[in-house]
Amino acid sequence: MHVGVYICHCGLNIASTLDVEELKKFAETLPNVAVARDLQFSCSDAGQDTIKSDIKEYKLDSVVVSACSPRLHEPTFRRTLDDAGLNQFMLEMANIREQCSWVHMEDPALATQKAKDLIRMAVAKASLLRPLQTEVMPVSRDALVIGGGVAGISAALDLANSGLRVYLVERRPTIGGYMALLTDVFPTNDCSICVLAPKMAEVYANPLIKLMTYSEILNIDGSVGRFTVSGVRKPRYVDETLCKGCINECAGVCPVELPDEYDFGLGKRKAIYMAIPQSVPLVACIDPEACIGCGRCEEACPADAVKFDQEQEDFRFDVGAIVVATGWQPFDAARKEEYGFGRYRDVLTSLQIERFLNASGPTGGEIVRPSTGKIARSVAFLQCVGSRDQTVGNAYCSRICCMAALKDAQLIKEKYPDADVSIHYIDMRAGGEGYEEFYLRAQKLGINFIRGRVSEIEEADGEIYLHYEDTFLGRYSRKMYDIAVLSIGLEPDRNADVVGTLLGLARRPDGFFEIAHPKMRPVEAHIDGVFIAGCASGPKEIQVSIAQGSACASKAMKLLMKGELELDPTVAHVDQEKCIGCKLCIDTCPSKAITVNGTALVDEASCKGCGTCAASCPVDAIQMRLFSDEQILAQIRAATEVRGEYPFIVAFLCNWCSYAGADLAGTSRIQYPTNVRVIRVMCAGRVDPSFVMEALKRGAEGVIVAGCRPGECHYVKGNYQALQRMDVLKDLLESLGISPMRVKMVWCAAAEGDIFAARVKEFVEELEELGPVGTELRGTGEAHPKEPPAPGSGPGGTGGDGGNAGNGGDTGDGGDSGEVGDAGCGGDEAEPHPTAEGDTDGEGEVVSG
Amino acid sequence: MDAQFKEEVLKLAGDEVKNCIQCGTCSSSCSTAHLMDNSIRKLVRFVLEGMKEEALSSQSIWLCTSCLLCTVRCPRSIRPKSVVAALKHIKEQEGGKNKDQAFEEMFMRQIRDCGRVSEFLLSAGYPLANPMATVQIMTMGIELLPKGKIDFHRDCVRGQDEIKRIFEELKEG
Repeated sequence: MHVGVYICHCGLNIASTLDVEELKKFAETLPNVAVARDLQFSCSDAGQDTIKSDIKEYKLDSVVVSACSPRLHEPTFRRTLDDAGLNQFMLEMANIREQCSWVHMEDPALATQKAKDLIRMAVAKASLLRPLQTEVMPVSRDALVIGGGVAGISAALDLANSGLRVYLVERRPTIGGYMALLTDVFPTNDCSICVLAPKMAEVYANPLIKLMTYSEILNIDGSVGRFTVSGVRKPRYVDETLCKGCINECAGVCPVELPDEYDFGLGKRKAIYMAIPQSVPLVACIDPEACIGCGRCEEACPADAVKFDQEQEDFRFDVGAIVVATGWQPFDAARKEEYGFGRYRDVLTSLQIERFLNASGPTGGEIVRPSTGKIARSVAFLQCVGSRDQTVGNAYCSRICCMAALKDAQLIKEKYPDADVSIHYIDMRAGGEGYEEFYLRAQKLGINFIRGRVSEIEEADGEIYLHYEDTFLGRYSRKMYDIAVLSIGLEPDRNADVVGTLLGLARRPDGFFEIAHPKMRPVEAHIDGVFIAGCASGPKEIQVSIAQGSACASKAMKLLMKGELELDPTVAHVDQEKCIGCKLCIDTCPSKAITVNGTALVDEASCKGCGTCAASCPVDAIQMRLFSDEQILAQIRAATEVRGEYPFIVAFLCNWCSYAGADLAGTSRIQYPTNVRVIRVMCAGRVDPSFVMEALKRGAEGVIVAGCRPGECHYVKGNYQALQRMDVLKDLLESLGISPMRVKMVWCAAAEGDIFAARVKEFVEELEELGPVGTELRGTGEAHPKEPPAPGSGPGGTGGDGGNAGNGGDTGDGGDSGEVGDAGCGGDEAEPHPTAEGDTDGEGEVVSG
Repeated sequence: MDAQFKEEVLKLAGDEVKNCIQCGTCSSSCSTAHLMDNSIRKLVRFVLEGMKEEALSSQSIWLCTSCLLCTVRCPRSIRPKSVVAALKHIKEQEGGKNKDQAFEEMFMRQIRDCGRVSEFLLSAGYPLANPMATVQIMTMGIELLPKGKIDFHRDCVRGQDEIKRIFEELKEG
């Protein structure tokens, strides 16, 4: 193995604090190092050219660039390697700027000492790197859209209009979703179906969209680029190709009447029916639950389209990407018993009032009081029914109800100017373009706004009364209305559970599908190749649902247009010989990338490389190719080889938050003690407890495991898994007589450089109080008879003592650390030499100081 | 702003009191709201603003019947009833007295001695301590008596030692 080491001056950024010349000389002494140089600016063309020519001249196998953070220039130097014909993954960076020269400006000697360790660690890892190949996988260029509401329609049209084939699967007999049932829509009060129907027709007419209504998805296999979807088309008992959509002929003779679910139970429909007059496809459907099989529709149909012998059809197809637009379901108002929905006829839901206001609804657009059949003179809207209400388990705001109530109230007031229209609210939420103006318009129309949540609706002598406190007046009231409208909230559609389970989608505490990042990745699921649009990921208005549908389409296009997928080679890999098929890894994987069939198999297209499976594997059968156990252990050993400082800390930082936070401490020049040696991992979940044990065994006084703040993990829950593992490890340490205080979990966001610095400082103080590792074992000396008496002088001796104590403890450790333990012993034996040599001065100073 | 008072109530009534959005569900659910000078909603606001004087001098705190409708219906999972209970507790700790103190003492004495309350003894004894209430109770008594609705018999529970023990323990605690 020939390693080239390049130490960057970065002008004076590094060189003003660190002794670059000494670092270069030091690097030359390290094993495997074929050439070591210092460069003024390694990222400059001149610097890169030097590296390139060295790669050829010295036949380098791997390169260590000791400069700034890999988060900044790793891509640059990978390209350099690639240009020189070396595999781009044969690069390791030692971060001696952000995490050394910039944060230890007042202590050049110790900073240089730390930089030496960082370089030694990088060389140790670089010596174990293996070339990795980026593979390319062909993908299906078709897409699946689940759900034919406005979000799904938007996604399907955008995909098809850019030339991709789309399967649009809808559970109901027509597409259009809830939007097709609404009357006018805010904030412009234009007719809902008038703007939606052309889009629905466009879907039907587009030759690239395979529309499958009245269909259910039953299975989804595979992963990004190659999902296999199967399901059934339920029989309508009407031939789609023959039906002319005249509906009056067949429905007119049907003797069966039942409540119409598309009117939310207000009107009636027949057993043979059309969901809405604008149904797409415009085809009748027979409700098999209600039909009595009299055959009169069959006789009446002029096109002979009724087919009682129709059977369900199975379907199966492959797609590369999936858009989940499964929508929402209305909150069941009967659950709020105090409002009497279902018991009092004049208590309606906001969806029912939509149908009342709709010209094609059951009352032809009139607001009729159900109990009397007369036009209502007073209407109350009750906000937050089933939203912002922890008694029904929905703490969230449903976001659209304020605007919907404002709209319905306006429509009623415009139609019946003398009617008393009141909105009982907690907070009016009108955030959006034109929304506040819409609120103002409602106020000008003379709608009453009463601030106070209604506690109860009472019925007495055929009238309904609302009980509420006008909280602005502080006055308790009981007021009579003709109609009370419950503004019901939006809940996640339970029918989407099947799809959610098949795809392995995560749900938020509110029950809606979770997106990959609440801000930065608003339409991506945690699962690659799956996108979420509209209310499936939480309540939202029509325009946002449409925007999300389009956003999903563009994300899917990015994936499908190329027709191939580059696979990241840094993913997890299972050693089939070692795997015992225990399935522990399946649950830890946030990307559902692992399947176990005898032994575990990682789907490389889905794996995101966090490595939490590798940490969970009890037999170490899973390896991360760029963060292998072997490489990380080599870094730990290199870090602890000298231990030129006391207390000595090894820190594992996750790439996304805490490592970035530590970098920020550097760019902000926040100074902290030099005692810490950082090992970068992709996720805190990658940290195997055996790494921590190894560090302690090798004499580190303490270990930091740092991850993203709770709830912010880039791999969903890797930080929680790390916490859980470290808690177990702390118990183990305690039972071994080692203080659990030696392991510290740190939550640090990328913006919290100050927090990282503060935690390091704190930890140094805590460890100083605890003393060298192993000192706590002296109290239980009898339990460890092998332990030598405390040398009392010099940290080298104490450190070695700690190492032995750790080994003593190792007897109780799990089977997987056998190798580790041996290596540790070997390390211990070799240890006194470097300690006794050059660096003793530095140590002595530290201790005496 | 009496921060200490606020903290004390939050400790007794639960930290979630901070989540109040003043929607008025509690006060409009309250069966004695029409008798109160300040609604429960307002009491919660007093607490959060540390307005000790206003909160403790409010007669509302003695009118709560502990029906718990406020607590069942609160959309923010606050227990307004516990807020009232906390205010009563603090008021009593500071030597304040309920105007129905006499009634409560009589009530508890009967429980201690017998394990049960006798409606007759309670309604007969209360006017002695609070003569102002006599007229009201007498009118009701005259109406109830001929209908056989007044039970003169006093019935005690078994295991009175247990009751005594509970009282002892409470006293110690």
